[in-house]
Amino acid sequence: MNLLVRLGRLCVDSLRVPLGAPLRHASLVRMLVQREIAARTSGTLLGKLWPLVQPGLQVLGFWFMFGVVYDAGSRGGPSFLQYLMLGMLPWLCLSEVLSRSTGLFREFSVLFARSPFPLEVLPSVMLVIPGIVYGTALVLTTLWMLGVVAALKAVVVIPLLLLWCLPLLLLCAVIGLFVRDFGQVLPFLLTLLMYVTPILYFPDLLPAKARAWMWLNPLADWMAVIHAGLTDAVMPFNSLWRLLGIWLLLLVPSWLLYRRTLLHVRELL
Amino acid sequence: MREPIIRLDGVSKSYRSYARDIDRVLEILTGKARHQSFNALEPLTLSVAKGEVIGVVGKNGAGKSTLLKLLAGTVQTSTGSLSIHGRVSAILELGASFHPEMSGHDNVYLTCAIQGLTRPETDEAYEAIVAFAGIPDFMQRPVKTYSSGMLMRLAFSIATHVNPDILIIDEALSVGDGVFARRSFDRIMEFRNAGKTIFFCSHSLYQVEALCDRVLWLDQGRIKGEGAPARVITAYSEFLQRQSAITAPAPQAAASSSEAAPVPAASTNTSVPRVIEVNVRVDGRLAKVHTLQSCENLVEVTVNFWAPAHLPMPTVGVVILGGDGRYVASAGTLNDGINLRTGADHSGSVVLQFPDFPLLKGCYVLEVYLLCERGLHIYERVRQVAELNVEQRSLELGIVSLAHQWLSH
Repeated sequence: MNLLVRLGRLCVDSLRVPLGAPLRHASLVRMLVQREIAARTSGTLLGKLWPLVQPGLQVLGFWFMFGVVYDAGSRGGPSFLQYLMLGMLPWLCLSEVLSRSTGLFREFSVLFARSPFPLEVLPSVMLVIPGIVYGTALVLTTLWMLGVVAALKAVVVIPLLLLWCLPLLLLCAVIGLFVRDFGQVLPFLLTLLMYVTPILYFPDLLPAKARAWMWLNPLADWMAVIHAGLTDAVMPFNSLWRLLGIWLLLLVPSWLLYRRTLLHVRELL
Repeated sequence: MREPIIRLDGVSKSYRSYARDIDRVLEILTGKARHQSFNALEPLTLSVAKGEVIGVVGKNGAGKSTLLKLLAGTVQTSTGSLSIHGRVSAILELGASFHPEMSGHDNVYLTCAIQGLTRPETDEAYEAIVAFAGIPDFMQRPVKTYSSGMLMRLAFSIATHVNPDILIIDEALSVGDGVFARRSFDRIMEFRNAGKTIFFCSHSLYQVEALCDRVLWLDQGRIKGEGAPARVITAYSEFLQRQSAITAPAPQAAASSSEAAPVPAASTNTSVPRVIEVNVRVDGRLAKVHTLQSCENLVEVTVNFWAPAHLPMPTVGVVILGGDGRYVASAGTLNDGINLRTGADHSGSVVLQFPDFPLLKGCYVLEVYLLCERGLHIYERVRQVAELNVEQRSLELGIVSLAHQWLSH
């Protein structure tokens, strides 16, 4: 019983501490986010609009390539362009969060090494900008392609995806702290993962043998859930339960590791 | 007992060291300790009331800085519980949280946010911070372009404008030099007068005793003494003297060939009081190195100084150090109730006389201090003003010949 209570408490803490940090340290999180936007856009003509313009340009590029040049047809189902957009934007969001998370501690070390900087805000700082940028891009793209009802459903997609990838973010941050090579390898691994996930192609184009192994790829589950959620397709509950299971399985261990690592971070950097 | 604002209950701090890097990773993964600990602070229980000024003394490595860092939140406790009710601001490693690429303006907002201030609160404090730091023209430039003095001024200004309930000061009651040093000292005194809680760690026992309500003496991470400043400082001084008797440094001779004491370069600042010249005469003879007879000669120390009109009149202190570096005697105009005066050119002079110089045989060195009106803030310290080599005809023992009389019945 005690073990269950402890586990429950850890589960709550693993969400309450990192996700509650923006509320407890609202000014600091806003400051860090503004700093990051300024660092990315200072000296540019469009300034703070760039973070939103960039995914917009990506969407336009995909539209031109697959909607105009290749004129990828609908094959009786959703158009390929629509399929690509609804999968690609969440993927880009996830990819950006995980890639950056490997350098989470080093990026901010100058701020916390010798000051009472609250380390628990760091994960949320990583999530805010991709959340706003790709969340907005996905909602607008869905509105353009599928209408208002689907766009309203799209509002929750990126927040749910980010919530799901929180344990992965914590793990990547811990591994990236101790194994610096991980930061170099991860983008390559993510690219590989993108190719084995039905993002750039319909899932039924995969050979039957490969399709049988797709249950091992949670990203494939995410794609299935997103597409079903935003269109009228049947929700693949197996995928949904698998995602929930993986999330629950990783949540406490990743939080424990991250929490233990926090005790060492100031000594290490 | 007033309301406690800080409570430490068995708080300790130990630093880890690992034989191999992988041991740290394995410790994190398994939760099983694989490190060796160095205890910087042994379990400490302490309660501090609101408005108390606590002095922390101890030798290097005693755990003073670790204690202050724990209170400031820059290191975490290893064991025990630490509860602090109120906002803490620390004058420890000034500018440590500054981001070099960000402007001074953004760093003000960032540091205030780290301290827990909201945006409107920072907006309210911003003008005062910039005005106090005195660098309004540089606020939009990245702090990496600041001089170390500018960085320190901005950091001090932020630390003292975030409306802290608890102020932590490591070593100095003022920062910077010249006018800013005086202003920073006044700012800290404002906190004391406003009834804020202050933790003050210093090697200057005089300042600790003059400023604090209670003193904590740390040694090898443990409390060795705690209580009224006079009692703890006396015990600590005796401890230091016992230590220095073992490792006493050789007395340094007043090497300069000039007869007047050299004035340090800092004294070229014309906005704060400064020492112009110090002369030491024995029976009217001016020299840097004197040989005199105990209880026979008149020793005169003349301090010429300059003091601007916009600041309160400074005070002067003269300290006599023994060959082992310990304080043998001192005299101060503040303590003796002497009010200094200056002329139309803002310069003044004061003479301290020791008739029948009562110290017994030995080598002594004189130091002169020019201090603020409270005798706490040091405008200028002139070391090794003169060397007095005292010889003795009598057979008295010790270091001083006390005025005395015998009554025979």
